[in-house]
Amino acid sequence: MVDFLQMVLSGIAVGSSYALMGLGMVLIYKASKVPNFVQGEMALLPVFISFMLLSTYKIPYYIAFPATLIFAFFLGCFLEFAILRRAKAPNILGLIIITIGMEMMLLGFVSWKFGASQRAMPFPISSYDSIMIGDIFISSLDMLTLVVALVIMLGLFLFFRFSKMGVAMKATQMNENAAALMGIKTKQIRMVTWGISAMVGAVAGLLIAPVLVEPYMMWDPMLKGFAGAVVGGMTSLPGAVFGAYIVGITEHLFGGYISIEFKSVVAFVIIVIVLCIKPSGLFARHYVKKV
Amino acid sequence: MKKYLAYVLTVMTLVILGLAFNTAAEEGITDTEIHIGQWGPQTGPAAPWGAVARGTDAYFKMINEDGGIHGRKLVLHYFDDGYNPAKTMAGVKQLQEEIGMFAWVGGVGTAPGLAVKDYIMDKKIPWIGPSAGSRHWIDPPSKYLFNTYPLYLGDAQLLCKYAVETLGLKRIAIAFQNDDYGKQGLEGARKQLAKSGLKLVTEIPVNVADVDMKPHIMKFRKAKADAVLLFVGPGHVARLQGTGKAMQFTPQWMTASTCGDHPLMMAITKGLYAGTISSTFGMMDPKQVGIGNKEVSQTPSLPLLAKYKKDAYGKFAAKEERWGMTFSTGMGLVEPFVEAAKRCGRELTREKLVAELEKIQNFNGIMGTVNYAPFDPKDPRCRIGQQEVFLLRAEADGSSTILTDWYQTEFIPMEH
Repeated sequence: MVDFLQMVLSGIAVGSSYALMGLGMVLIYKASKVPNFVQGEMALLPVFISFMLLSTYKIPYYIAFPATLIFAFFLGCFLEFAILRRAKAPNILGLIIITIGMEMMLLGFVSWKFGASQRAMPFPISSYDSIMIGDIFISSLDMLTLVVALVIMLGLFLFFRFSKMGVAMKATQMNENAAALMGIKTKQIRMVTWGISAMVGAVAGLLIAPVLVEPYMMWDPMLKGFAGAVVGGMTSLPGAVFGAYIVGITEHLFGGYISIEFKSVVAFVIIVIVLCIKPSGLFARHYVKKV
Repeated sequence: MKKYLAYVLTVMTLVILGLAFNTAAEEGITDTEIHIGQWGPQTGPAAPWGAVARGTDAYFKMINEDGGIHGRKLVLHYFDDGYNPAKTMAGVKQLQEEIGMFAWVGGVGTAPGLAVKDYIMDKKIPWIGPSAGSRHWIDPPSKYLFNTYPLYLGDAQLLCKYAVETLGLKRIAIAFQNDDYGKQGLEGARKQLAKSGLKLVTEIPVNVADVDMKPHIMKFRKAKADAVLLFVGPGHVARLQGTGKAMQFTPQWMTASTCGDHPLMMAITKGLYAGTISSTFGMMDPKQVGIGNKEVSQTPSLPLLAKYKKDAYGKFAAKEERWGMTFSTGMGLVEPFVEAAKRCGRELTREKLVAELEKIQNFNGIMGTVNYAPFDPKDPRCRIGQQEVFLLRAEADGSSTILTDWYQTEFIPMEH
């Protein structure tokens, strides 16, 4: 029983970073109607900027981390404004290819600028300390990730529910033409959505980085976050979060009881199963477009 | 008509003469240059190993500065294959067929090497010092392929022997990368422990893409392992040791030579690597330093390595290049090639190079003792090169304490 609880808790812990990546992807999918494959690298570059600020320039955490998040926001806005918006009447395939192209550009830039070496990121709390709940362990970093993920989810909920910008974003995501007719600057809204998504991703990156910083560090969390978002439904923010936790917990239970060797592919098996049973995802609402 | 015929005959004569010259001259050799090929990941997840090729490059430049080999400069053509066998194959074919390499040296990784092994061997091109301790290089042996890197099977043998006989540990477990590298470590450990009537208490595969190590640590804890062998990459060592610490699981960690760069490992594990025992194949001599004494990689005690650091790394490495085990391995792996090429004299040919390599006995550079023998298709040891390794313990200050003398590992043939 202790093993089972440990696996579930570990699954929730790892699912939190997947959830943050999934949230970022859903935000962009709702705004731009594209699965965003540059989500990982939108977090990667800010993480390396943060690493540079902390290690090279010895800037304190309380300045470096907010500066990183601001950088991430502008990076997201820039990618939407300078690249995605320039695409002329693109279809979904074209948009996907653009995001893959941006992913390669940012990854190449990080590898060129910072090198491919593996490094340890300075962080205010030790990534190797743990908290004991009975016989069950959770690392301090995992606990922090869990709390931060919950705070961000709550923050996003309140933002979309009560802020003027959030409501405008929701309106743009629901019906861009109607929103524009109501006076909402939809292009600006889309750009800001990319900025917020990049910030959420960067938070996930900063919480993953204390273990190891390397150019490919965001690849796995991005894929798992994507898997979570697909399971939950690409248009549902709570769905992306629940989907990510389902992926995290299932991975751990599968690794613990069935096979560690195939643990990594479980997420994709779950995607296939969910898409076969409920193609819109577990939490997305069905809607029918009138022609 | 006669004039036309004369033109045709002249052109044909020139073509035939040209072909004759081409067949007479050895591919990749000119009066002033010897063209050598190498691949290595400069980008991608295995990029930290790219330093091997850069180490070879700096070493060759040092030799060139000293006058080259009998008046010829060594020209190293190395390319980034991203540890992707398809790219390795494409790059090797391109360099071989467009420029023409005299020989290939180094080359990081078992999978990339296996992708091009048959191509290089079919063309009878010498390949010296693949940068991976894989048994595939020598079993079955190939006439033109000379291994230098000690086999991972041997690393596992010495680590297990030390754990059982010296540390008195009985519950040994292993985390192995789920590929040829890790599986050879697994095989070596199983066979060594069987000699003491023991078995691995648990065998946990690690996929290259795995990031979360909690399930792995849970298995080790459940098996009550008191020593864990790590035949994985440096990043996975950092993740396993970090997760282990967080889950209050602190066995005696033991790693293969692939994680023998102690300052690097200390940095990426934030100091958790201290106390870890790793096997290694050189860059210091236990006999010279003394068992129980410390070695600091930045101030090599081995005079030859100190010279390489000053004359190759100091003069020819890029400013941001880090001096360490991986970089110097790129030099050590190709020393037998340079030695044999020197012995060939001015008349350097592939067959002569192979003949001189086969005569190399008790050769010592910056790695262990290298031995080859005349080609015997039934004896892999004729191409094994180095078979000896020793153990180090990583210290908190980044130095390494020598734990054992050189240990002659046993060759375990492949089960055909």
